Amino acid sequence: MRVIWVDGEPHKVDVEGDMPLLWVLRDEVGATGPKYGCGIAMCGACTVYVDDRPVRSCSLRIGDVAEGAKVTTIRGLGTPQALHAVQAAWIEHQVAQCGYCQPGQIMAAAALLHDKVAGKPPLSDADLDDHINHAMSANLCRCGTYMRIRAAIKSAAAKLQGQRP
Amino acid sequence: MIRYALAILLVAGPAQVLAQDSTPGLELWGKIHEVFSHPRCANCHVGTDRVPMWSGPEYGAAPRPHGMNISGKGADDGANYLVCTTCHSKQNSATPHGPPGATSKGVAEWKLAPVEMQWFGKSSAEICKQFKAKESNGNREIAALAHHVTTEPLVLWAWTVESERKPPYSAKELGKIVEDWGMAGAPCPTK
Repeated sequence: MRVIWVDGEPHKVDVEGDMPLLWVLRDEVGATGPKYGCGIAMCGACTVYVDDRPVRSCSLRIGDVAEGAKVTTIRGLGTPQALHAVQAAWIEHQVAQCGYCQPGQIMAAAALLHDKVAGKPPLSDADLDDHINHAMSANLCRCGTYMRIRAAIKSAAAKLQGQRP
Repeated sequence: MIRYALAILLVAGPAQVLAQDSTPGLELWGKIHEVFSHPRCANCHVGTDRVPMWSGPEYGAAPRPHGMNISGKGADDGANYLVCTTCHSKQNSATPHGPPGATSKGVAEWKLAPVEMQWFGKSSAEICKQFKAKESNGNREIAALAHHVTTEPLVLWAWTVESERKPPYSAKELGKIVEDWGMAGAPCPTK
């Protein structure tokens, strides 16, 4: 038995230590935002944050998640009343096609903007492109929405930097 | 006469001893190089581009850069928004083609080796020179190098995989080989 905090709420989970965090979230906690894609940390659909750092939840054993760890899924990134800048940009740019990979895409994009944009000196367009290339190449989209993903990230970056998109 | 003999010993002796001793020393270095050039070690001992490599039996003959545009540029454990441990968790994945793991931050910290310790793509002679030189080996004498390879958690982690991906020898055996190589004069191959 261990307690993890998922999107701000405590959950007692009583599972084997080698159960991937993804299945704990989906089957035990009922947080179905993170998706099962490849199961080997190659596609990014299962991306969540553990203690504010992105991880591939399909490849992280619950036994390796610290007692009391703070897990954030797409559901906890923003609220319908106060969307995260990346979520708002996703809607603005109508990024999703089938949508399956999008929770992971949004979590990866939000991590990038948190580290490199929010409260930081403005990045040049080329530097932002470079960071997007690094941050998002590990998140696959079979529908090929990459151009809209890039546009939405730039739009969210501009808003977070206090600039007009 | 004795003076002549001493002079001959002083001048010719060390060179002769070195010539005689370099063969076993080089054989020992060959064993060390077997470990250092093994994919489990060399894939993260990369150069200035800080791109880890994918090589080994599961990748066929041609090594390739780590997929997904991964680079350690900016920090050797990856950029903050995509650190190595985003995908490489604390355990070796039990799923075929899953990511190898390493405990991180406290035990075996998962990160690239410093750029001056590049092994991937380097010759045996170049790796040997780097391993011996204190300016590129973490300021270590030979004894400290032997201690390092037998005690450093991330080095020990290299052997914690199934046999077909495991480097040769063991960490303990490698430490003894390094010691013996040092005792043999720590010779390096010329090419």
